[in-house]
Amino acid sequence: MSSANSAFYKKDLLPVATFAVVLLTMPFWFKFIGGYSGLDTKIVIWIIFAIGFGILLGYMGFLSFGHAAFFGTSAYFTGLMLLHFSANILPAMVVGIISGIIMAFIIGFLTLKRTGIYFSILTLAFGEMLHSMVLSTLQDYTGGDNGLTGLPTPMLFGLKMQGDNVFYLTVIVAIVMYYIARRIIRSPFGLMLKAIKSNQVRLEYTGVNVARYKLLGFVISAVYASVAGSLMIVYEPYVASEFLSWHLSGHIVIMTVLGGVGTLFGPMLGAAFMLYFENVLSVTMGEQWLLILGAVFMLTVIFLPGGFVEGGSKIKKKLMGGDE
Amino acid sequence: MTDKKEKKIWTRRDVLKASVGVAVASATPMFFMKDAWAEEAIGNYPVKGSTVKFGFNVPQTGAYADEGADELRGYKLAVEHLNNGGGMLETLKPSSLKGNGVLGKKVEYVTGDTQTNPDAARTSARRMIDRDGVIMWSGGSSSATAIAQQYLAQEKGVIFMSALTHSNDTTGKDKRRYGFRYFFNAHMTGKALAPVLSKAYGKDRRAFHLSADYSWGHTQFESMKDFTEKEGWTTVQNIMTPLKSTDFSAFLTAVLNSDADVLVLNHYGKNMVNSLSQAVSFGMRELQKNGKTMEIVIPLYSRLMAQGAGIDNVEGVYGTTSWTWKQKDAGSQVFTNAFTKVHGFPPSQAAHVAYCQTLLYANACEMAGTFYPPAVIKALEDFKFSGTGTGDTLYRGEDHQCMRDILVVQGNSKAKSSGKYDLLNIHATVKADAVAYPVSTFKGELGPYKPA
Repeated sequence: MSSANSAFYKKDLLPVATFAVVLLTMPFWFKFIGGYSGLDTKIVIWIIFAIGFGILLGYMGFLSFGHAAFFGTSAYFTGLMLLHFSANILPAMVVGIISGIIMAFIIGFLTLKRTGIYFSILTLAFGEMLHSMVLSTLQDYTGGDNGLTGLPTPMLFGLKMQGDNVFYLTVIVAIVMYYIARRIIRSPFGLMLKAIKSNQVRLEYTGVNVARYKLLGFVISAVYASVAGSLMIVYEPYVASEFLSWHLSGHIVIMTVLGGVGTLFGPMLGAAFMLYFENVLSVTMGEQWLLILGAVFMLTVIFLPGGFVEGGSKIKKKLMGGDE
Repeated sequence: MTDKKEKKIWTRRDVLKASVGVAVASATPMFFMKDAWAEEAIGNYPVKGSTVKFGFNVPQTGAYADEGADELRGYKLAVEHLNNGGGMLETLKPSSLKGNGVLGKKVEYVTGDTQTNPDAARTSARRMIDRDGVIMWSGGSSSATAIAQQYLAQEKGVIFMSALTHSNDTTGKDKRRYGFRYFFNAHMTGKALAPVLSKAYGKDRRAFHLSADYSWGHTQFESMKDFTEKEGWTTVQNIMTPLKSTDFSAFLTAVLNSDADVLVLNHYGKNMVNSLSQAVSFGMRELQKNGKTMEIVIPLYSRLMAQGAGIDNVEGVYGTTSWTWKQKDAGSQVFTNAFTKVHGFPPSQAAHVAYCQTLLYANACEMAGTFYPPAVIKALEDFKFSGTGTGDTLYRGEDHQCMRDILVVQGNSKAKSSGKYDLLNIHATVKADAVAYPVSTFKGELGPYKPA
């Protein structure tokens, strides 16, 4: 007990506290850099999504192109619960997240036997399957291309989930999820994930049940996606079919790569940067903003394969004057 | 050290001064916000400063980008006229517009890209509401985006004046208190078009439908089916085509293989341009089926689409449209002239509906004497007006649908066309009474005046 405690003080207190302070004070400082209320919530939701994706891509080394499947499934079930069961977000979020987890077990079971590009293509195919199902066969339940409209204002025991309420709920969830992610990465299980990344076959020969670890890693990543998807509906009570499309899957990949694969901080930074870029910086650039974003992405991948995080540490090294 | 000493000593005079200062300071906002007490803040009301901001959210990319570009031209012209007078401000009756902004505030605007996608449209609209503080926003096209935005309007308490949206759902099952539609709908199209079709092509036709697979396509198909079947037609089959389709040859082959002798294209924008061009290149317009010449029908027409498809392809094809620049009434004339003067070509129905919606909102604010959304909504509800090119028009209070004249048009021929913008001939102007329908035709509730 005490050893766990001291580990917390030694390793987690500073980063988690910094993370918490930065997010909690966001409404105060965000407007000075051109942000506006509403965007801050959205950024935090994507940060949660990015943490989970970072675990899968950065630690386990699996590039999923179908993470929208979990985000979207959870979003749709959350929306359907709000619409047909109760405006209370608790049952809606629980059902939403569980549906995302079930989806992850199914897709993970079917795709994780493959690695590399084959895994990516398979996840993409599953994601797109769900997307087209929502648009065609399940139209009567999902609203098709219109999306799921007419949801009531989400409530939490009499508290309207709007504006600041959603923001602080999201931030609290994000802090908890961030802390859990740190613990996962440092645990023996996290070590297994890293081992899978470096050499899956060798790990298998040492007698480890790799398939089970992979599935669990995949599902954990999907939990983050599901939580984010569910929170998205609480933030904005409308489910878009876009939430299941490859656009969204691609978005999270770009964010993660931009921020820096292989760290927890990188994907979060990437998510925040992308949303800030899309919604604030895009205004000054006019119609060219997508082009500029593309250029930024290219330059990052070419010169800073480790993303912004690598850039940061390079600068730090320069400033410190240390040469290798 | 000296600082500390000075601060400690407070004379009676200082205390008095300070307390007066505090009292004045704290009373100031109450003085300026006096009016705000009666009507609480809703959405971006009250409007601060000497300007008021509108948002124009149109498709700048995707299947409806051409329509979006023309809508934007209409919006900009409306803002120009609201601020400086001119245009339909002279013909709208009754009008409270003065040509010096709205309620004395100059009108500014921001624009956004809906990408013809409901999620992108909502994101963009939220940005306008949260970041730019718009008091009203407007836009189209695609009914899916309009419906998604209407719900957002209701949540946020910001009025949404939809432009190009033709689905029955917009003012039917998805109608919202904060959403208003000046455009007509699929039901009105069916009602106006079916009698014309049966007169021209006979009562024993067999129709094959291709419909865009989203809200509008579905209701457009249903309305066309209902009204043509009332005329005695048979519906052979309907295929829902994805909105993003550009190649329709697979669907058109199915049409060729059926025993249908009429093809109804429930398509709009680039969808329609592509499906029609491909149908013509399949030779469908010369084809003989059941002893008759095969005919093509385009329920919802626009000049921009006719332009895209080419005059040879649309020649003689029937459809309905909201408005054309060829109308002779005073309102249409001033608008067409003002628009042509700026851009060098006449406006489309997209520009017209965008322009009118902006003016109608501004006029309602002037009538209500405030930007307070519930008061503006009440001013718009059951507002009767004329002089906008759609005859005697009523903004119906029960479903926020305009009851207005619509046009049955026919594609022009090259020989008769006066120029490259003269593509549609008015076959008939169908009066508002003839296309009106009871509110109870569609389900749905408007919702409350104050957002939840």
